Amino acid sequence: MTVIKASNLTKTYNPDKIPVRALRGVDLAIEKGEFTAIVGPSGSGKTTLLNIIGGLDRPTAGEVEVGGKDISQLSDNQLIDFRKDNIGFVFQSYNLIPVLTAKENVEFVMVLQNRPKAERDKRAESLLTAVGIAEKMDKRPSELSGGQQQRVAVARALASKPAFILADEPTANLDSESTAGLLDMMATMNKEENITFVFSTHDQRVIDRARRVVTLVDGKIVSDERR
Amino acid sequence: MVGGYVKNAIQNETSHYQLHHPNFVEDKDVKFNIDNPAAVLAKVSETKSVKAATLRTVVNGMVRSSRGARGITIRGIDPAQESLVTGFDSKLIEGKYFTEGRKNEIIISQKIAEKLKLKLRKKVVLQFQDLNKDIVAGAFRIVGIYKTGNTIFDESMVAVKRMDLNELMAKEGIAHEVAVLLDKKEDLVPTGNALKVSFPNLLVENYREISPETQLYESQIDISATIFTTIFMLALIFGIINTMLMAVLERNRELGMLMAVGMNKGKVFTMIVLETLLLGIIAAPIGLFLGWATIQYFGGQGIDLGAFSASMEQFGLSTKIYTELSTKYYWSLAISVLITALLGSLYPAWKAIGLRPVEAIRKI
Repeated sequence: MTVIKASNLTKTYNPDKIPVRALRGVDLAIEKGEFTAIVGPSGSGKTTLLNIIGGLDRPTAGEVEVGGKDISQLSDNQLIDFRKDNIGFVFQSYNLIPVLTAKENVEFVMVLQNRPKAERDKRAESLLTAVGIAEKMDKRPSELSGGQQQRVAVARALASKPAFILADEPTANLDSESTAGLLDMMATMNKEENITFVFSTHDQRVIDRARRVVTLVDGKIVSDERR
Repeated sequence: MVGGYVKNAIQNETSHYQLHHPNFVEDKDVKFNIDNPAAVLAKVSETKSVKAATLRTVVNGMVRSSRGARGITIRGIDPAQESLVTGFDSKLIEGKYFTEGRKNEIIISQKIAEKLKLKLRKKVVLQFQDLNKDIVAGAFRIVGIYKTGNTIFDESMVAVKRMDLNELMAKEGIAHEVAVLLDKKEDLVPTGNALKVSFPNLLVENYREISPETQLYESQIDISATIFTTIFMLALIFGIINTMLMAVLERNRELGMLMAVGMNKGKVFTMIVLETLLLGIIAAPIGLFLGWATIQYFGGQGIDLGAFSASMEQFGLSTKIYTELSTKYYWSLAISVLITALLGSLYPAWKAIGLRPVEAIRKI
């Protein structure tokens, strides 16, 4: 089942001044259950591609379908609602809410979805257990290590039961041990629960674990390797 | 300050109400006196909400010393009742109040004492026209010197015992004025109505009618309070906008993340507004309490503006200001603060929802 379908995506920044063509006609389809890494040198357009398929940015031309719905035509508020219910994000800098505990951070998206408290409690605890930090659920982000914070971020991304998780350089700020632990956890979730992960990365450790590697150079896909 | 002026005017000059012969106010002729003043005083004192009342004989005349003379108003008072209505005995700065049984004592103001080079125990001569239009005079010994803080009033009034003045007037028991002090200023209008019904043949006037400038000052209290409140709220709104804009700026990344994971613009807007309101709800009672405590303290201790005493007394303003603020102002301030907080939150909230998540989450 195709979860993401990007057709002829083009993105040009500053079209009226000095135009920068970040994407030049990218076609990409991601199937359910894939563990895909989008790689390329800095400036290749991988973050731009991730932002567009995640609904955080709009293409200059082309279409993006998520779960069969063309999101490139949605309004800002419609996009926000769509992201809330369909897309999970893991950011490079974790971006947890500093005044909330780990559990409250995971619950946050479910609060936006108006889920009942009992359901929120149960799912948050279950996800934090799944990512291996159940004992830290009452800690604030400042009391957690980088790896632990990123695990909370993954749990938060999963909380809304999204169609897929987009992770933009999730291991960039982590040490080796934390990176290995995080990747193990995400690979396990992918394998056992068929959760779709799409990474933007140039961390070789992530690339090595991916089952599909899409390489971008200068805004174009130059290779698409399935392992 | 203005409140102090009104208070002093009521206390020293007008009381809450004065009753006169209908012609006395226009023409201060001694023949326009009150019929059966003792009965009038008794009936006034029985009126609900009247705290105290006193009779006065009021005559315009001259005070003479060996060094000079000047025109003044001679107030013949019943010392005990007068102190209940005006607290006149508390205005003495030298000497003592009237002694029972002693005749021809006089209390003059510090201003008059300076102008006529007078001291305690000196004698002065009071001269005026009696009921028969004859010029009469009497010698009085200075037993006390008073100061009210209102130069205009002080320069124009001397006080003697009413029975001494009436003896000179050759008519015992005469009175030209009944001064009335109420329990509460709020009873002003209903008490006035009652007095007018009880004494249809007398002119019943409240302090606003006797002294229109006092009423003007009084109305200025509300106007100036409104102006000051508006100025404070304008300053506050800029402070709130600045604070919340900084809060939005410092949380750009967090706000971007919130919108990225699915918090719509309406919720972000509401969040900023509610945060600001919450700040106001917490801060307003603290500020009001601190303000109340300060007002209570200086309401008792007073703020001494002695450095400006000469000019202030010229305008009838006391040099010591006792702060006070009625309850209605606390409520209006609290509501004003919340409304200001709400208005001040709108611009920062609008800026917050203008953020683009894709840019905001990358901010450091």
